[in-house]
Amino acid sequence: MEAGALTTRDDLAAARLAGSSRGRLADPAFKWFLTILAVLILAIIVFFFVFLINKASPAISKFGLFGFTFGAEWNVSKSVYGAWPLLVGTLITSAVALVIGVPIALGAALYITELCPARLRAPLTMLLELLAAVPSVVYGLWGVFFLIPKLRPAEQWFADTFSFLPFVGGSVAGPNYFIAGLILAIMILPIVSAISREVISTVPAELKEGALALGATRWEMIRLAVLPYSRAGIAGAIMLGLGRAVGETIAVTLVIGNAPQIGKQIFDQGYTLAAVIANEFGEAANNKLHSAALIAAGLVLFVLTLLINAIARYIVVRGNRMRDIPPPEEELTMPTTGPLIGGPVMQ
Amino acid sequence: MSDVPANALAPISARRRHTDQVMRAVLLIVTLLALVPLVLVILRLLTSGLKAISWDFFTTDPSGNFLGNPGGIKSAILGTIEMIAVAALITIPIGIGVALYLVEYGKQGRFAATVRYFVDVLTGVPSIVFGLFVYVALVVGNVGGSGFAAWKGALAIALLMLPIVTRSAEVVLLLVPDGLREAALALGAPRWKVVTRVVLPTAAPGLVTGSLLAIARGAGETAPLLFTAAIVQGTSFNLNARMNSLPAQIFADVGQAQDRLVARAWGAALTLVTMILILNIVARLVARRSRST
Amino acid sequence: MRYRIPAAIGAAALALVVAACGSSSSSTSSTAKSSGTANGAGSTFAAPIYQQWGSNLKGQGVTINYQAVGSGAGIAQLQAGTVDFAGSDPPLAAADKAGLKKGPVTQLPMALGAITVSYNVSGLKTGLKLDGATIANIFLGKITKWNDPAIAALNPGISLPSQTISVVHRSDSSGTTKGFAAFLAAYSPTWKSKVGVDKTLNWPTGTGAKGNDGVAAAIKQTPGAVGYVEQAYALQNNFTYASVKNSSGNYIAPTLNSTTAAAEGITIPSDLGITTINSPNPQAYPIASQTFVDMYTDLCKDGGMSSQNAKALAAFVNYGLGDGQTVLTQLSYAKLPSSVLTPTKTAASKLTCNGQPIS
Repeated sequence: MEAGALTTRDDLAAARLAGSSRGRLADPAFKWFLTILAVLILAIIVFFFVFLINKASPAISKFGLFGFTFGAEWNVSKSVYGAWPLLVGTLITSAVALVIGVPIALGAALYITELCPARLRAPLTMLLELLAAVPSVVYGLWGVFFLIPKLRPAEQWFADTFSFLPFVGGSVAGPNYFIAGLILAIMILPIVSAISREVISTVPAELKEGALALGATRWEMIRLAVLPYSRAGIAGAIMLGLGRAVGETIAVTLVIGNAPQIGKQIFDQGYTLAAVIANEFGEAANNKLHSAALIAAGLVLFVLTLLINAIARYIVVRGNRMRDIPPPEEELTMPTTGPLIGGPVMQ
Repeated sequence: MSDVPANALAPISARRRHTDQVMRAVLLIVTLLALVPLVLVILRLLTSGLKAISWDFFTTDPSGNFLGNPGGIKSAILGTIEMIAVAALITIPIGIGVALYLVEYGKQGRFAATVRYFVDVLTGVPSIVFGLFVYVALVVGNVGGSGFAAWKGALAIALLMLPIVTRSAEVVLLLVPDGLREAALALGAPRWKVVTRVVLPTAAPGLVTGSLLAIARGAGETAPLLFTAAIVQGTSFNLNARMNSLPAQIFADVGQAQDRLVARAWGAALTLVTMILILNIVARLVARRSRST
Repeated sequence: MRYRIPAAIGAAALALVVAACGSSSSSTSSTAKSSGTANGAGSTFAAPIYQQWGSNLKGQGVTINYQAVGSGAGIAQLQAGTVDFAGSDPPLAAADKAGLKKGPVTQLPMALGAITVSYNVSGLKTGLKLDGATIANIFLGKITKWNDPAIAALNPGISLPSQTISVVHRSDSSGTTKGFAAFLAAYSPTWKSKVGVDKTLNWPTGTGAKGNDGVAAAIKQTPGAVGYVEQAYALQNNFTYASVKNSSGNYIAPTLNSTTAAAEGITIPSDLGITTINSPNPQAYPIASQTFVDMYTDLCKDGGMSSQNAKALAAFVNYGLGDGQTVLTQLSYAKLPSSVLTPTKTAASKLTCNGQPIS
């Protein structure tokens, strides 16, 4: 800009922006307004946790923290509340979700970033994100009326043919751990693939080109350059998918069978922490111990998610540190793409 | 050939080429596999849902009749629109406000880091716990003179949307170039004007996109509403009374044995997914238009 | 240009909020015609009845919102004060009454229904003969196939498939469960000691579904399934169900007659807490259940209702005990016999609002 040669337009603009002396009072007022807002929100969030912990305390004090979390029996009529069968159900369904969902999500992410023609990239990405736009209750509806009946013969065949394997066998009634895990796999596909895609696309081009220049095939380039580099980020993506699978309620309660014991086979009915809350909250309204137990179950669920997210963060940061990559400005939980913006899956 | 580095891989053997082709095919198949559920769900939604849809479907309330006409989903649609609108009105200004604080004033300070951390922590709360919180805190004690009430449902959803709105707003606000802020400050603008006249307008499309996506998420949530707004058949605009909603209505109908009630569930599901898709498309259009300007 | 979309959304939202605040008087204002709303929750066993009665009363300014969440949740909601009346199949137990602290409670039997043992086995028609001990063993997981000798012994001449039995039970707190368990406990000491009688049970086997409707859906969707479900649901979905051996040794099918017979000759306690399970009447269906509507006797002072809404609830109850009884047969429930109906009507007339009888 030429010094000292401001046009009339700039003068007017400056005058408009500078405003009157009133502006000098408005500035601190505005800042304090926003600060107080932030303080208020922080207070509300803290109150949220304190309140829940307080309401859960009758159950925790009766059974002990360990006794509640690992208690082997959840029996409402005897007023015995042990969350272990529920925790196991949550872990089993989430494990199935990961085993099925992660390879597919990762494969899709690799294909979209590395192999597919450029003009297909946006449509494929959008289609994958659409999976996240379907609400959880609609997945439950689809699971009950489409997935369960269609897969029952195949599951029965599998149970009969492979019954020598541990945890396989028995008769397939309909809802079971496996179906719940399968639906969870579908629901975590978008988040795992989106974050994997972002991670894979940050692989430096020199690394990939170097591998290709050395004579690697495309697949070898992926195997030798892309995957090792993105290992930590992908692990983080998996952890985040796990975190979401753990908290899913509505779709799971419709397809897991709601049985309070730990099933012996993968095709048995089970229960999860989230499903028990949904099923029993109504009758717990006036029962202090029962509602405390349900809130405690919710807190166990939340602590599990917290743990998983913390591990994810640790893996990512440590992986990046090994490569001298500065920590990302954006938190890993928040891809800005599509409907995936943070948070647990729709319930 | 002297210019080939010593550690170069050997010329591509047939086996390696074969592996490459196989793995490429595998990755393609896996990608298509990822899309199979989407296709199946949409197909099923269309075939089962369109059967239930009619003008009456949208204009009559669920009748609650065990025999005879089950009615439509009017109260569910209106209830969802109203409760999500209230939730959005609560959450979006607050979320953007907190994000503004974090980006413009708090920045990397310790207090801002604490706020950021707690908002992040809120992200990991399963949505059913939000419903449980509002239930125990507000519904059971009959706070506000009513047990189950629509505003309590809206509040639960607002809590759920808050971390999403805040974080996406923060990301968008961070993208506004500092140069713009500095230029405005250099021209003598007070801080608050920089924020309201420069930063917010520049970030507006991104904020709108983020808000619409958060609304799309909130609209599909069931668990927070089960415990708070409950389900009711009649159409009501009264925020201090029970209100129906699409996800709750679908959830109620899923567990039914009668085919016509299940058909209503499919119709309602199709309606809900369509509403969410429209929100997503609008959000995308806003984002694309802002990129092109 | 950029602001058009957010402005439009904001305007629409604002309009809805204004409409909401403006019309908040829709359900509680006193217009020339009395209009009131009563909120209830509870038994899925009786849900079809209350929803039909509510639908019939809609034109008369009475709005009944009934949420079928199970008897247990209904009582809990009444105790918590979030509903005006609860639908419960079992009579109020001591523990239930202890939680209803605000004042005296009125318990009104409304109808009788049959808990069928429904099954989904291709080739098996309605009328499979089963007795209490066998049913208990099925639900205990001891009998696992349809062609088990115990079932075959009761049904000579019927060819039973070797299909696996898939048990379906309730996942929520249910009065239907309590009635069914009471019947099983009378015929199976193992059931009585191992599982017990309550609204929520630790089921040894099977899939849990929410509500009678959920159990019906699960039975419908699962080949080889067996579950206990109220007759209206079974008939609506064309289920096949068993004829069950009663206390006199007769195999009785669940019909309106056999359900009504279960209430004849039973003792009626002063609080009207009757039970028709395992009735001594030789023609009675042994798993017939009663269902109650429970509320505080003083609807306004203890129940927290406005006088308008209390009137609506009283109208609902009186309708149910009057013309509503004829609706029951259409829905496949049995009417109350006069020995029960008369004292119930008396009790219903004693409902008050702030000490004054409700007109």
